[in-house]
Formats: sequence, structure tokens, C-alpha cells
Amino acid sequence: MALRRSILAALGVVSLVALTACGDGTLEAGKNLDPDKLTIYSAQHENLTQAWAEKFKADTGIDVQIRYGNDSSMGNQIVQEGAKSPADVFLTENSPAMTTVQDAGLLATVDPATEAQVGKAYAPSSKQWIGIAARSTVLVYNPSKITEAELPKSIMDLQDPKWSGKWGAAAGGADFQAIVSAIVATEGEAKAAAWLKGLKDGGKIYQNNIAVMKAVNAGQVPVGIMYHYYWYRDQALTKAGSKNTKLLYFRHQDPGAFVSLSGGAVLKASKHAANAQKFLAFVTSAEGQKMLATSDAKEYAVGNGVASDPALEPLPSLQAPDLDPSTLNGPKVIELMTKAGIL
Amino acid sequence: MARSVGGTRSPVPVVVTSLAVAVLCLLPLGVVVAASIDVGWDAARTLLWRPRVAELLRNTTALVVLTVTATTLLGLSTAWLVERTALPGARVWRVLMVCPLAVPAFVNSYAWVTVRPDLEGLRGAVLVTTLSYFPFVFLPVSAALRSLDPTVEETARSLGLGPWRAFLRAVLPQLRHATLGGMLLVSLHLLAEFGVLAMLRFPTFTTAILEQFQVAFSDSAGSLLALVLMGLCLGLLTADQLLRGTSRQARVGRGAARRPVRAALGRWKAPALALMGGLTAAALGVPVASLARWLAAGDPTFDGRTWLVTVGSTIGLALVAGLLTVVAAFPVAWLISRRRSWLSILTERATYVASSLPGVVVALALVTLTIRYARPVYQTSIVLVAAYAILFIPRAMVSIRASMAHAPEELTQAARALGAGPVRTFARVLLPLTLPGALAGFAMVFIAVSTELTATLILAPTGVRTLATAFWSASESIDYAGAAPYAAALILVSTPVTYLLLHRSDEEPDL
Amino acid sequence: MTTLLVRGVRATYGRTEVLHGIDLVVPSGSTTAILGPSGCGKTTLLRVVTGFQPPTAGSVVLDDETVAGDGAWTPPERRRIGYVAQEGNLFPHLSIAANVAFGLPRAERKDTDRVAELLGLLGLDPGLMGRRPDQLSGGQQQRVAIARALAPRPRLVVLDEPFSSLDTGLRAATREAVAEALHHEGVTVVLVTHDQAEALSFADQVAIMHEGRLSQVGSPVQVYGAPADRRSAEFLGEAQFVSGIVRGDRVECALGELALDGRAPEGSVDVLVRPEQLRLVKAPGGRRAEVVSTTYFGHDALVTLDLVDSDGHPGLRLTARVNGLEAWAAGTPVSVDVVGPVRAFVDGQAGTVPSPG
Repeated sequence: MALRRSILAALGVVSLVALTACGDGTLEAGKNLDPDKLTIYSAQHENLTQAWAEKFKADTGIDVQIRYGNDSSMGNQIVQEGAKSPADVFLTENSPAMTTVQDAGLLATVDPATEAQVGKAYAPSSKQWIGIAARSTVLVYNPSKITEAELPKSIMDLQDPKWSGKWGAAAGGADFQAIVSAIVATEGEAKAAAWLKGLKDGGKIYQNNIAVMKAVNAGQVPVGIMYHYYWYRDQALTKAGSKNTKLLYFRHQDPGAFVSLSGGAVLKASKHAANAQKFLAFVTSAEGQKMLATSDAKEYAVGNGVASDPALEPLPSLQAPDLDPSTLNGPKVIELMTKAGIL
Repeated sequence: MARSVGGTRSPVPVVVTSLAVAVLCLLPLGVVVAASIDVGWDAARTLLWRPRVAELLRNTTALVVLTVTATTLLGLSTAWLVERTALPGARVWRVLMVCPLAVPAFVNSYAWVTVRPDLEGLRGAVLVTTLSYFPFVFLPVSAALRSLDPTVEETARSLGLGPWRAFLRAVLPQLRHATLGGMLLVSLHLLAEFGVLAMLRFPTFTTAILEQFQVAFSDSAGSLLALVLMGLCLGLLTADQLLRGTSRQARVGRGAARRPVRAALGRWKAPALALMGGLTAAALGVPVASLARWLAAGDPTFDGRTWLVTVGSTIGLALVAGLLTVVAAFPVAWLISRRRSWLSILTERATYVASSLPGVVVALALVTLTIRYARPVYQTSIVLVAAYAILFIPRAMVSIRASMAHAPEELTQAARALGAGPVRTFARVLLPLTLPGALAGFAMVFIAVSTELTATLILAPTGVRTLATAFWSASESIDYAGAAPYAAALILVSTPVTYLLLHRSDEEPDL
Repeated sequence: MTTLLVRGVRATYGRTEVLHGIDLVVPSGSTTAILGPSGCGKTTLLRVVTGFQPPTAGSVVLDDETVAGDGAWTPPERRRIGYVAQEGNLFPHLSIAANVAFGLPRAERKDTDRVAELLGLLGLDPGLMGRRPDQLSGGQQQRVAIARALAPRPRLVVLDEPFSSLDTGLRAATREAVAEALHHEGVTVVLVTHDQAEALSFADQVAIMHEGRLSQVGSPVQVYGAPADRRSAEFLGEAQFVSGIVRGDRVECALGELALDGRAPEGSVDVLVRPEQLRLVKAPGGRRAEVVSTTYFGHDALVTLDLVDSDGHPGLRLTARVNGLEAWAAGTPVSVDVVGPVRAFVDGQAGTVPSPG
């Protein structure tokens, strides 16, 4: 009894001390969104978004707060929040989620000046959002488990039963869903559905791209579908998750050569529209894009005249299929994946 | 105004709080049902009658059946070895058998995956959940064994039964309530489990709901999956009630507390010790060793400040939620133990049902609710704390109710007769006597909140990271070294749970 | 014929030795009560007999079969000893019928006749068979527990304070029903109790236990009338001691010169005078005394009185048991007579009289 009391008392004291010690962090973090700050819903990399936000504040004095999430969840969240969404700016990793918000009529038109900062190929025809970065689909493989001659020629080959149990993908993630949307756009719904069935029956589903890469690296599965930058980031750091792997680019306008566009947009209902447009202009400016190119994000820059990280395969050499990003259909992909039993 | 059987009026604030608690607890249920009705029959049918749902049902059922069987066998046999045999070091083993509760299941799966990267699917899920959850059976069963009058076994022996048959025919049936309670607890935890199953790539309803949330935020498919999951939980609760039956299993008499006869193990001593040792190594040794390994490996990107801020916000949330939950539970506990009325029964059941719902269901319901009808609190820590209160209020209530026994009505009546008003009676008699229980309840909620993952993933306000979510985002990216400092903090925070549960199980066999 | 033979049994509770060498013979068909205050070791002795605890020395022999000691060990389930614990301990998950039939072989468990017979024998309505233990009163539960112990026809039944948890009224009735049933079954019984009235009324043989030793074993009349020592005398009933001096077969004390029961060495002794040995008369004749107060019980009464010396000064205070119909008001002068011979003790031990049995 006495022992229990003293233990509980000690527990209480420790908690109180810890609370006071970290008080500022806690209370600030627990607070409501500040309506006076520019609010960004970002599905982009935390480090990169943070760096942009800090530089933007240093340049303009505009305070920024960021909510992190992932593409489709945040896209749908904004749609459900509707006109009362606290978000001013939405940054995605892939375009389908952006299209979802756009189709709900919640996006404002991007400033023409901002649009001019980015290559024509990296903006949708709708002009309601703009590319802020790009990433390429790759096949990661483990040369000790599979020879180069045995590798698939197209991403579509993987549905063949002979690949059963030999390929991995992060099917639950937005990245993968963007790739599926490219398959739908290039090959049509029926073929996409058949391919998804192949994934359901023979693919190994991982939690995310890093898990796919590490599984390939560890030899648990010979090949995997993911985006290029996970590999380059790991190579630049410890190589712990990728030292046994190589990348294959499908090229030849294969749906597996799909280059996904990360988007930025201003919400129509934003109460800080001018600042929001300023932020988007900053992100796509030469300065913002250089931050991207020199960061550890390893994504392709899309700003005019800004060179991407030289370590990467040059973007034009990837022979990506030519697609209007605003036509990549998120809900259709979800529907097909749900039908296939993956979701 | 609620009236008790005796006709005494219950104080208004108590009644109001209890009503509020009941409503809050029933909220998620109502929201999930309403959102599902919104979907419409046809859409609901296409979303429910599909192979994916069948697969999830199969997986969930297989996991529950296998893990519950394994935990029951392990829990019963270890409890028997510890309480009724001449196992060397029984007292130490008893503590060791409860210690796995200090390692959150998702931290345990992280530890196992780093040791055996090929561990996945049903096999891995059953292994890790069994190791994490068997104490839920061990605790109530060993407590029941302790409280069981040993003369029951002796009588059976004198009637011609050997030790093993005496255990089967006379003791085991009396452990039914305790065992069922443990099995229910394990099943509910399995239905709610997210971290372990996501990490081991074994999809169940809970992981599918979270995945659906990540794909589509709060949409109809998610609500329907939540509805099915809720149905499974309620089904389990009903099955448990039916299995318990209506018959009371009160003790016929309270014999003199006596040391039980401990069966000699003979040539079974070595296998028994091997079982206990192996179990301890698997459930405690593996997590501790791999954690030590990753802590030693170190994370070059480790940022002490971020870690501290995360610890701080976790403690902050846990303190607020713990305090609030205890304050809310106190009047309810009082009402339940002192004034049986429709209101107190309703409140008791409501808290019980709500807390048995998986965190993911409660969180999803609160998102749906606040985004549609309660925008001002949408995405605030208020909603998160409310979710914690809904999920963990019974933990506070159990402790407070137990301590109410130390402050019988006669004492408060005596205080009133001596001239103290209701407030002074509360402050000078009831509160001091129930304070240990309230503190224990607070600690239980505090620990539960500190390690909560699924509801926090969904409801955490912008910018808020807790130990569990920070650990999760690191381990999700297979950044084992980066996850280690958070895992260590999670284990540290959960350690007192062992002490509290051991202590409580001595007081209350039914946990 | 002997059913149970306990020889030189020593046993421990935890690490303390609580039985320091017990010798006991229980004849077949008899009822033996082991009587002693709580903590004297009687329950431990019972556990050694039933086999729940091995003795550290000595042996237990049942029907010529050594079940414990001398290298032998028979586990409790093979000793065929029926055991009834303090509170019966009916299995709460089984019906009354299933409880009674518990120890029967599987094939006989369905046979309700034996169950009904046993219930009837213990004065219970066979209609109770389908009930649950918690639907029965304490006395009924206790009778069921005894029926359960009798069902497999044990060679010995041991009862561990079986009536102590019952109310006074219920206790006597239950005790009678049980005694009758046990007698009817002709079974050998060992009863452990701290209640002297229970031991004296229930048993053919009473063994008195003190601090792990049997101080006296004998028939109820023997142990009550001729206790082996002062402590036994006090434990078995109200006892008062008057100092006296032995001369031959008589003892001289404040109550006069009394006849000795047994022999005692010459010299000073303590003389045991039980209240019922004192007879009061209003007419003068015996020792003069004066009534101080009366405690009335209905069927009898205890009268406290002071002996009065020749000068009229009050002397020794004594208690006498009288018929409840007589009224003795305080201050009444009376004369006191002692009925029958008295026992004399030297330093707590009874004279030189060897312990009977």
C-alpha cells in the first residue's frame, strides 16, 4: 500500500517535471490550427516542405503551419472538409489526389506568372495546380536473385503467373496508385484490371516503397516496383537498404516508365489566397527548385532552367509515356483496386 | 433525475457527468451506424459482398482463433505451474510472466522483425500476438487460482482423483470466468491490433480500415468496414456473456486462506523450466536484446530535441487524458457502486462496450462526426483526448470502484452524522480513501494513452507527434535505428503497468 | 480391529515443526475427536492422515497398510479417506447430485438412487439434487459435503471443524443428523474440533492436543472427569482450582476434607472442583458461603459465591452450577457440599495417576 502510493507519487512527480521541461513544445503542438497562419496540407517530404516553409518565412515574413499526411487521404480530407477546409495550400507527391480536389471544384487558378516558371510538360491543362517536382517509376531488382536477361521488358509483364511471388509493390500507397492511374490511362481499364488481378494473385504487398526496396535488398523478393528517389537517397546515405540492388527503367513509353508529377495548388476558399499564391510561386521559382535539386529528396526539379541532381538519370532519357496529368483518375484507380480486392 | 432502488436522490452533478459519459461512449457506435446507413443498401452490398471483405474476415478469424487458443493454453499452463506446482523460483516467474505487458505489441513485432526479417503473414502474426497477449490470460487465471480455496482440490483428491484429474474436474471449471475474461481481452486486442499486423503484412479489418482511411480519408467503404469490425466486437461480447451463463459462480464459502498443495514436478521439472525460460526469452529477451542492439547501433540522424518534444507532447496528452478520464470516471464509479439505477447500469454498459471497440473505429467515428457536425473542435487535441477517454475509461473505473470498497457508505453516513456536508464529506472521507484507486486508475490510463497508436495516427492534431506515432513512422520506413529511441521510451513508460496489474490481480481476481 | 494407526508422527508447517510425535489409535467403527485450541496442530495432523502433507517422521497405517512413513507413500486419492473441510467446499460449478456423485466411478455417477439414499440419510430432501450449491443454506451444504464424502464408501471419514461455520441452533441439529448418518453407515470417523461440547457429545474417543502433542486420549467421560493435566481440565470445561494438602486418599482444602479420585503424592496440591460438583443448600450443614451473583442460562444457572470463615469474613470465591429452576438471590447465606471425589494436580500434572489409554 505505502509502496504503491510512493510509486504513484513518484510517477506523478516525474510526469509533472517532464511536462514542465517540455512544456512549450507540448502546448504549442497541442494547440488548434492558428487561423492567421498560412496553412499547408502537405503530402510531400517533411524535410523538403519544412525547408521551403522556413526559407519562405525568412524571405517574406509570412508564418506557415504544416499538416502532414499522404496524397489520397489528404485529398479526400480536403474534399470532405469542403469550403471550410483550413488548408490554404495543398502539396502532393502525385497528381491523382490533386485531380480529386480539382474535380470537387475546390482549387483556385494558379497565377500565370507562377505557371510560366515551370515547363509546359509539368503543368496540367486545367491550370488549377502546378507541378513542383517529378519522380520516375523504376523496377528495383536484386542481381543475386535474378539475372538481367530474366528481367521484365514491361511493367505489364508482371501479371504473368511466372512472376507469381517474385515481385513486390506498396499497393496501399499513393505512389503506387499513381502508377496504376498511368496504366489505366495508357492501357485502358480492362487491361489495368487484369494487371491488378495479377498483382493480387502473385504480387507481394508491402507497407511502403522503402519496405519494398529493403525486401528486394534482403533477397526476400527478386524485384519490386517503386519510385527512383528512395534508391538514390539510400545510396547517398548508408546504402544499407539498397547495396544489393540495381534499378531498371522500362523507358519506351511503357506505363512502367511513368513519371509522376508532384503538385502544388491554392485552395479556392483560402483566406490567405495572396500569400498562398506567393508560396506556390516561391516553390516553383528557381530558388525553390534549386532547394529541391540540392536537397536529399532526390526528386527531379521541374522549374525552367533548374538542373536536377546530376546523380539521377536525365529526365528526358526516361522516355516516359506522354500523359496529361489532370486526366489521371484517382477514384477510378481506387475503384479498380477495391474490385481487385487489394483495398 | 435518477432514483436508486432505495429512493435516495443522486447528486445532480454526478447524474449529469454520468449521462455525459454514457452519451460520449455511445457516440462512436451511433456515428458508425449512421454513416453506414447513409451509404445506402445497394452501395453497402457491393462494398461488403466482395472477396476482399471475405479475405479480411478469414484472416481476422484465423488470427483470433489461433492466437486465443495459443494464449489460453500458455496462460493456463504457466499460471498452473506458477501457482500450483513446486516450480523453482515461482515468485520470480510470476512477475516475468506479466512483464511482456510492458512491451507494446507493435514494439514487440518490430523487435521480432529485426531478428527474423522473413517473419510475416499469419504465422508471424500469431507468434508475436501470442507472446504479447498471453499475460492477459495468465493474470486473471493465476489470480483466480490464488483465491481458490485449496480444499476444493483436496476434497477432489480425497474422492479418489489424481492431481491432474482433480485439476481438470474440480479446478478448471472454476477458472472458467477468469479464463473467459482473459480470452475476451485477447480477442478484443486482436481485433483492434494494427501495428503488429501492418508490420507483419497480415491484413485484417483494422489494418484495412486504416489503409482505407489513408486512401480515402473518412469514406463509406471505411465506415462499412468499421461497421463489420464493430459487429465482430459486439458478437464477441455477446458470446462471452452467453458462455458465462446466468449462474453466479460465487464462492460457496470462504475457507481459511491456506497455502495450496504444490504438486511436485518430478521429471517434468526440466521441461517446465524450459517452457518458462523459453517464453521469457521470446516475449522479453527478444525485444530487450534487439532494442539494445539498435540503440547501440545508433541513428546518425537522431535529434535529441525532437525526441524530447515528442516525449513531452506524449506525456502532456497522457496527463490531460488521464486526469480527465479519472475525473469523468469518479462520479460514474460512485453511481455504479452506490446507486443502482437505469442510469448507472446504462453508463456502465456504455463505457464497457465503447472501450471494447478498436481505436480505429472510435477515431474514424469521431473524424466523421467532427468534420460534419462539430467543425470547431475538428482536428484539435480535444477530439483526441475524447477518444482516449472513450477507449480507456473502464481502466480508471475498475480501480476507482475497487477502492470504493474501502470507503463504505456507512463511513460517509457517519461523516454526515458528524456534521460534515456533502462536499466536506467527499473531501475528508471519500477522496482520501479512494485516492490510491484513483491514482492507480490514472496511471493505467496514462500508460495506455502513451502507447496508443491507431486512434492517434488518425486524430493527432496538425504537428503533434507522440512516441507511438513517431516510432511508427520510423519503423514503417524500416528505419530500425531511428525507431529505437522511441521504442525505448515506450517500454519505459509502460513498465509500471506490470506492477499495477500484479497488484490489482492480487486484489481483484476478475481483473 | 484398528482402522487408523498414527505412530510417532512429526510434521512441519512452513519451516516450523508443529507436530512433535503423535501416537493415536482409532478403532474401527469408532468416532474419534481431536480436540485442541486453534494453532495446536490438529489440522496438520489431519492433513498428514489424508495425505495432503507428508510427515517428516513417523508413520500412518490404514487397515494394516502403511500409507505414509517407513518409505511408503500413498497419494490422497488412493487412501480412500473421505474428507470434509471446514466449509464443505462443494464444487460451485456442479449440481448437488453431481457433487455427491463426484467420487463415484463414471458408470455409477448416473445412479441417482445412491445419491438420493445418502441425501435422505443426512436428512436432506432428495428434491435438492438439481440445485446449485449456492442455493443451499450453510447447514445443508455441510450435509451435502458429508454425503459426498460417504458416497465412495471410504474406510475412514475425516471432518475438519465441519460445524464451526454454522449458527448455534443449526449446529446442534446438523451435528445430530450427521452423527446418525455416520453411525448408520458404520464408518470410522476422525473429527477435528476446538469445541469441547462437540467433541464430548460426538465422539467415542477424545484426543486432546496441545502445542503439537496429544496430552490425553480417552473416552469423553474419562477425559472430562479425569483430565491428565490442569490445561486439559480447563480446556474441557469450567474448572476452578483450590489449593489443598494430600493425606493418604484424602485431601484437605477450603471446602473441607474431600475424597481423592486416584492417588496423589502427600503434600500440597491444586484440587479441581468443577461447578457442577458443588451443591448448594439453604440449610446449614456444609461449608458456609454467601451468594454474590447469579448468571442465568435457562436450563441451568451459575452462582458465584464467597466462602465465609468462622468470623463471617468472605474467603475464597467459587462458582457452582445449579438447576435453572432454583432461584438464588445475592446475599443469600448458603452451605456448600462437594459431590463425589476430586482430582488433585501437582505443578499442572495430575497426581501420579498414569494417563488412561
